[in-house]
Amino acid sequence: MQPLDYIIAGIQEVIFGPVAFDLLGVPLPLTLVMVFAGVVIGILVGATPGLAGPMAMAISLPIMISYFGYNVEALLPVLGFLIGVMKGATLGGAVPAILFNTPGTPDAYMTTLDGYPLTKQGQSYKAMKVAHLSSVSGDTVSDIALFVCAPFVALTVESYLDFPEKTALLILSLSFIAAIIGGSPGKGLISVALGLIAVFIGGGEDFYPRLSLGTDTLAGGFSIISAVLGVLIVGAILKEYETLWHRSELSVKRKQFVDHGDQRLSLAEILRLAPYIGQSSLVGTMIGALPGIGTTLAAAVGYQLGRARHARRRQEGFPAFGEGAIEGVAATEAANSSVSGSNLIPVLGLGIPGNTAAVFIILATDSIGGFTPGPSVFRFSENVVNTELVLVFGLFTAMLFANIVNWTLGAVLMRAATVMVRVPKRTLLPVVLLLTLTAVYAQEPSIETLWFTLSFGVLGYLMRKVDMSPLPFVIAFILGGTLETSARQAFSATGGDPYFLFSSWTSILFLAGAIATVVLALKRARTTNT
Amino acid sequence: MNRLNIYIGVGALLLALVGLFIWVPHDTGTGLIVRVRRQVSIGDAFAPSIAFALLAIGGAILLIEHRKRTNVELTLMQLSHSVALVGVIVLGLLFMQHAGPALLRITDLFANSNSEYRLLRETFPWKYSGFFLGGLTIVAGMATLSAGRLQARTVVIGCLVTTGLIILVDLPFEDLLLPPNGDY
Repeated sequence: MQPLDYIIAGIQEVIFGPVAFDLLGVPLPLTLVMVFAGVVIGILVGATPGLAGPMAMAISLPIMISYFGYNVEALLPVLGFLIGVMKGATLGGAVPAILFNTPGTPDAYMTTLDGYPLTKQGQSYKAMKVAHLSSVSGDTVSDIALFVCAPFVALTVESYLDFPEKTALLILSLSFIAAIIGGSPGKGLISVALGLIAVFIGGGEDFYPRLSLGTDTLAGGFSIISAVLGVLIVGAILKEYETLWHRSELSVKRKQFVDHGDQRLSLAEILRLAPYIGQSSLVGTMIGALPGIGTTLAAAVGYQLGRARHARRRQEGFPAFGEGAIEGVAATEAANSSVSGSNLIPVLGLGIPGNTAAVFIILATDSIGGFTPGPSVFRFSENVVNTELVLVFGLFTAMLFANIVNWTLGAVLMRAATVMVRVPKRTLLPVVLLLTLTAVYAQEPSIETLWFTLSFGVLGYLMRKVDMSPLPFVIAFILGGTLETSARQAFSATGGDPYFLFSSWTSILFLAGAIATVVLALKRARTTNT
Repeated sequence: MNRLNIYIGVGALLLALVGLFIWVPHDTGTGLIVRVRRQVSIGDAFAPSIAFALLAIGGAILLIEHRKRTNVELTLMQLSHSVALVGVIVLGLLFMQHAGPALLRITDLFANSNSEYRLLRETFPWKYSGFFLGGLTIVAGMATLSAGRLQARTVVIGCLVTTGLIILVDLPFEDLLLPPNGDY
């Protein structure tokens, strides 16, 4: 098959794949229906303070897998839904940020700075229009970057990297994530180490399951679902609930402002916003492609660059950043949304999840099987059909469809999602917890798994409590097995050379990069402290 | 809480030492390197040893990094709240696990019969009893802790939410099992 044939096969896989139901005699493709449902749910979840896209992804994933089954046909509908949620949540996060000064998702914090002043000026509808335009534009730019870069990255890795280099690359990724996330390389490394220790329990090649303390309970190890959902979701719920406990202002009635004046977004205004959207989209896309750096940083950098540009070019009579400038909303929303596509570059190109949302994509492929994200996915074989590559192009089609939904219906859905702000967190969080436990049990029907999930939840809570990011733990847990297998293969391939990691300049470069990342982060942390 | 980073750093170092010198050597089937028929391969102890070494490095870096400075506030009050919160969830899980079989045993006592939960786990009300009571405990218990008092409204919401989840999960998905039915 030629590259074009793969693209066509991917599109056909989505459009002529399993049918969800007939609408007026027209069969609706299951994947597209799931993408649509994902976008709608994502926008609703994003608009609900206290919830986030990853929470919806976490809860829905085990239920969907149990429903669709563990076969390749389930991959596109499940991944399509998850991607829909991911994209929708970024858009929905702007709603409470603009209307109520409460970011629905952490990355929408910067949106409050100009979005809420616009609401106070009676321009909330216009602010939402700007957020919609910028968010969807940024998302589209990011997706294009993914479509172009992921195959390139994967083919480069596949052509030039052997087992030792791939092992060194995994070490570099983990060290980068440990050093960057949370601002403390020490805590990052501890988080990574704990994740590796947890995944190594009960594993190994010997008959005796290592580190199991001779118990049957630990002999099977911890399931990925209990570790990931426990640390990421249950831990977040416990922390959020504790915060809620101490906050009394939540009962304070929110101020309502009535819109007045012209709410239309003129062509001149769109042209004025274009450079801000373009600049932030590029910045967000670049940041999103690096593992471990999330949407929050992208939003902050996008906003700061936008502010600098605005300060240089602001005309008399136009508000400055922080006073209700539509450019501020555009800069932030374009930046945080442009992370969502490019953060799949390390996932699809290297098999390395870069952020929480990407973790669930890996979790889905790992649970369902038949698709292993990594460089081999992009092998354009001519004689034998690479089914994984067909699935990738199916996934790209699903992403494009999600963008179409966001472009066409996103604004309407954002307006409808304003009702979600009124859902009380006090009731919502226990419901989410119960849903999470139910979802975990649906995939692993053993009460032991629920106890493990709760234990990991307590660990996740404690990590958050001491300002240690749980994301390096999760990524290390996911990559630990691959890292060990890769190291074993590299060791064997080099004939038992103990210095296999130093067998080529590329792997030496990667290892030097791993050390340099930690040292530089350490230096930066010390400078910040002094 | 200026000493928090020191506690974490020292804790990580101690755990790493225990792992490297006690846990890994005594609880793995093979050592760092394995030789079988002149073939050398990586043993099961290798990866955990690296992980514990990394933990030691992380702990040491944290001690060097900023042992005197932290913005983290950790009070006994916060921790006691969290312990209560986890306690409620533990209670809910215990209900989920044992309430169904326990209720059946009590019913058997009154009816003078001898039923087995495993055979009844697909029938009403046993199918839902554990999940309902456990779910109600978690939802109503957490909301009660947060509000500071038990309200009838909270219990009603707990009942509605748990029933809603049963309808949402059990009715459309035939293969999905509610806790604890998969264990029997």
